[in-house]
Amino acid sequence: MMEQETSLLEAKKIILNITTPRGLKLSEEADMVIMRCVDGDFGVLPGHEPVSTVLGDGILRIINDGMEKKLAVFGGVVEVDNTSVNIYSTIAQKPEEIDLERAIRDREEAEAGILERTEELRYQSLGVGVRRALVRIEVSTNFEEDDFSEEG
Amino acid sequence: MSSMRDIKQRIENVSSVEQIIKAMDMVSSTRLVKARRQLEGIRPMYKELKLIAEEVGTQENAKRHIYYKEREVKNTLYIILTSDRGLCGSYNFNIMSKALKHMNQGKNEKIIIVGSKGYEYFKKRDKNIIHSVLDVADAKVYYGAESLAKMIIDSYLAAEVEEVYIAYTHFENVLTYVPVVERLLPIVSDGTENRDRDDKKYDPDLDSFIDNMIPLYLHMNLFRAYSESHTSEQASRMVNMDAAGKNASEIIEDLTHMYNRKRQAAITQEISEIVGSANILNKGGPDDS
Repeated sequence: MMEQETSLLEAKKIILNITTPRGLKLSEEADMVIMRCVDGDFGVLPGHEPVSTVLGDGILRIINDGMEKKLAVFGGVVEVDNTSVNIYSTIAQKPEEIDLERAIRDREEAEAGILERTEELRYQSLGVGVRRALVRIEVSTNFEEDDFSEEG
Repeated sequence: MSSMRDIKQRIENVSSVEQIIKAMDMVSSTRLVKARRQLEGIRPMYKELKLIAEEVGTQENAKRHIYYKEREVKNTLYIILTSDRGLCGSYNFNIMSKALKHMNQGKNEKIIIVGSKGYEYFKKRDKNIIHSVLDVADAKVYYGAESLAKMIIDSYLAAEVEEVYIAYTHFENVLTYVPVVERLLPIVSDGTENRDRDDKKYDPDLDSFIDNMIPLYLHMNLFRAYSESHTSEQASRMVNMDAAGKNASEIIEDLTHMYNRKRQAAITQEISEIVGSANILNKGGPDDS
């Protein structure tokens, strides 16, 4: 009985749904999903126990059939059960949606701001800006490298 | 009796008003399409977050958390969503009177107003408006909702208010929109134990999950409520402008009839005058004898 259930789960994949304020952003199958939570990375395989947690700013990695996809996800709530992962986030960007030049500019501006200002609240929001820009840059540049290796 | 010139003037006036009405009708119908798209995007996310928030509330430990705990109510915060512009039928009045009625149940209210119509209305009634958001541009709503959510949380946590209500207009379809007053905080979680999951875990722990989840939930809730209201406003304006356009056409038709009759009467009178005087002339003028 136990074996049957596990084999069922093994054959199955996790269904990942990402919902944003603009509607369902992404819905696909995956072997494994790794996300950045407030307290560190959190990986989910099929058959995970039901859990709810909150996301930080970071990269969401979707691994399916040996292929890895990356998304930039900033904040949000995740609900996990044994067959599905539901992410509710305000911002979830695919690599092709990221404006790399803008991200680089944002990073420079925020970093310059940090050097100038010392006001605590402003400092924090600049920190968030830098972090988000870095995530965007990484997601977006990796995407380009992947493209390159596929061609070559 | 108005003269022909007056009637003609009136026809001109009404038809220029009709043109404005038609333009407004068109503007609001395109805006309605946009607003509906926004609303349909946010609704699923809001629904799920609401479910999560309510589900958390069924946990024993959550009931002690400030966002769920029922406290003795001294001050009540209302967020009232109205529009900046008029000409949308009873849309503003409905939501304002609903909110006012709710307040009059012995609440000690503090009000956050969105939209200048509501601001004037509650200002006139000497209500305690602590903050107002006027001239909301469509593009700024999303971030506006975020900062509003922060403000609500701040005053809630600082114990300035013990409960928070939101008054908005729920959009059902183009012809039906219902004014609603809902409680935002503390979160109502009674009777929502449909998803029976006692074994459910929360990471890192329940308290920090709530602390992180609630601001997001409120942000989405406010954004959704605004989208609902905004869509209702556009729909209401479109329907009303449609009716006004029809009225204008009717008035123009009536006036044109009246004008034509007047013109006919004037012509008839002139003819009869001519005929009468011609008859007299033919008889050889008035009797000399």
